[in-house]
Amino acid sequence: MTEETKITNAKQNRESHRIFISFVGFCKGVVMAVLRRWWSGFLAFLFPPETDKWLGALRIGIGLQLAVYTLFLRSDWHYLFASTGRGLVSRKLGEAITSFDSPLIPKLAWLVAAGGYVHISEDAVLSIAWACLLCTGLLLSVGLFSRVAAIAAWFLHLCAAESGGLFAYGADNFMTTGLFYLMLSPLPDRYSFDHWLLKADVGNPQLLGFWRRVLQVHMCFVYFIGGLAKCLGNGWWDGSNLWRSLTRPPFNLISPDILVRFEYALPILGISICLVELGYPIFIWIKKTRLFWLVCILCIHAAIGLAMGMYLFALVMIVLNLAAFGVGMSRNQSLTAELTAGRSEAQTPAFNQRESARPESPCRRNAA
Amino acid sequence: MLPSASDRYARKAELIAASFLGKEAGAYSPVRRGIATYLHAAGIQAGYTFFAPNIPDYHKLTFELYHEDGRIEYQSPHVIGRAAALRLESLLDRLADQRYEPIREVVVKMLALAVWRERPDVKRIRATFGAISPPDINDFERGKGESFQPMFSYDFSLREQGKQ
Repeated sequence: MTEETKITNAKQNRESHRIFISFVGFCKGVVMAVLRRWWSGFLAFLFPPETDKWLGALRIGIGLQLAVYTLFLRSDWHYLFASTGRGLVSRKLGEAITSFDSPLIPKLAWLVAAGGYVHISEDAVLSIAWACLLCTGLLLSVGLFSRVAAIAAWFLHLCAAESGGLFAYGADNFMTTGLFYLMLSPLPDRYSFDHWLLKADVGNPQLLGFWRRVLQVHMCFVYFIGGLAKCLGNGWWDGSNLWRSLTRPPFNLISPDILVRFEYALPILGISICLVELGYPIFIWIKKTRLFWLVCILCIHAAIGLAMGMYLFALVMIVLNLAAFGVGMSRNQSLTAELTAGRSEAQTPAFNQRESARPESPCRRNAA
Repeated sequence: MLPSASDRYARKAELIAASFLGKEAGAYSPVRRGIATYLHAAGIQAGYTFFAPNIPDYHKLTFELYHEDGRIEYQSPHVIGRAAALRLESLLDRLADQRYEPIREVVVKMLALAVWRERPDVKRIRATFGAISPPDINDFERGKGESFQPMFSYDFSLREQGKQ
């Protein structure tokens, strides 16, 4: 190999190396840009600026739910939660099962023990707990001392739900969830007495957006899992599960003779319920289908409440759905638009105006 | 409905979810207890299935009350309000679950005791628990009624308590 060839080869090697380095740099830049865009989009998805309309709806709805819950259980409260030898099933049994999971989970035994220190009987403690639960529900409904009321309501309801864990059903879990998010959300909202009378500031729009997003994602999980599980059961495809659910006591409010007349509608309704629940996490985010899907899911819950007598369950699900996707949700607002908007939004300063009726939707901002 | 090949993956996913939720840790592990406390506090300790995948049979607990004078009366555990009645049904459905087998007798005994308090002259109670299969829509049209399948029964008396 001549000297000239060696020099040419060396030059070519250097050139290849330079090209390779610049290619790696280019790729790195592209990857970083994609990651940055993805991260900005993700942040914009998590912290979209929101008004406090949804929080007002959640507060009022959960407050009413709590008041109805306590009033419905008024006559059986002591019977359900009394200790050994005085109630239906001893409260202590439910509490022992809960304590096996974790002794840190709140329960009515804590309140009874605290009452014992100041010589208040168990019956009196249970009555006080019931009255406090009703009061917190009413306070939440009108928005007076919202934060304190939300924390107290969550704690008292959790105590009751865990102590009566053997009697608990879906409505209790969803009430706990609703109260948990309400307690953590930036209360008060502008529709509360706290804001009118005490002139308390409303929360940061991005924090409001974050907690709404958490609730929205939670609801999507709930329906997706519920829908998927239903699709695995053959009874939802032929309508027999609808028949069974509507004819089994204590849900048999409608006479079976009436149901027989609608025999052919049962499979269609069963399949529709599966599809609405399974499709919820997709179609609720798309602006064109959101209203339709929301109305469908609200109708399902209203029907459950009216036809099966599960009023508490129906009410809490309607409240959570309205707060998550109903109230204050712009028709033009879609998930893809928000994610796209996030790229430019991430660089803009935080939306921090107190009195904007509704933050301009990302779509409109982009259009402008 | 899913192919059986998916069972393996479903089990794996279940194990991963269990370890993620701290279920693999010891009963007294602070991690497990911390996660459990959070799950209960947020109301997400149980899965959401909403009558899925299929609606099981419902359950009934009947007490045969044997009075001092030889009379036999039949009664079920009862509450006053409808909201509490839903909860009682929920309890009965739980009793049928295999996981609640260890506390089944205790719960039935407590329910029997609640009935006993209202009728102190009863000397013995037989509790029979079973599943009720409602007729499907075609059977209903043919006039068939629901069928009762006993699952277990207990005899309770004031002095001695025995399981059958």
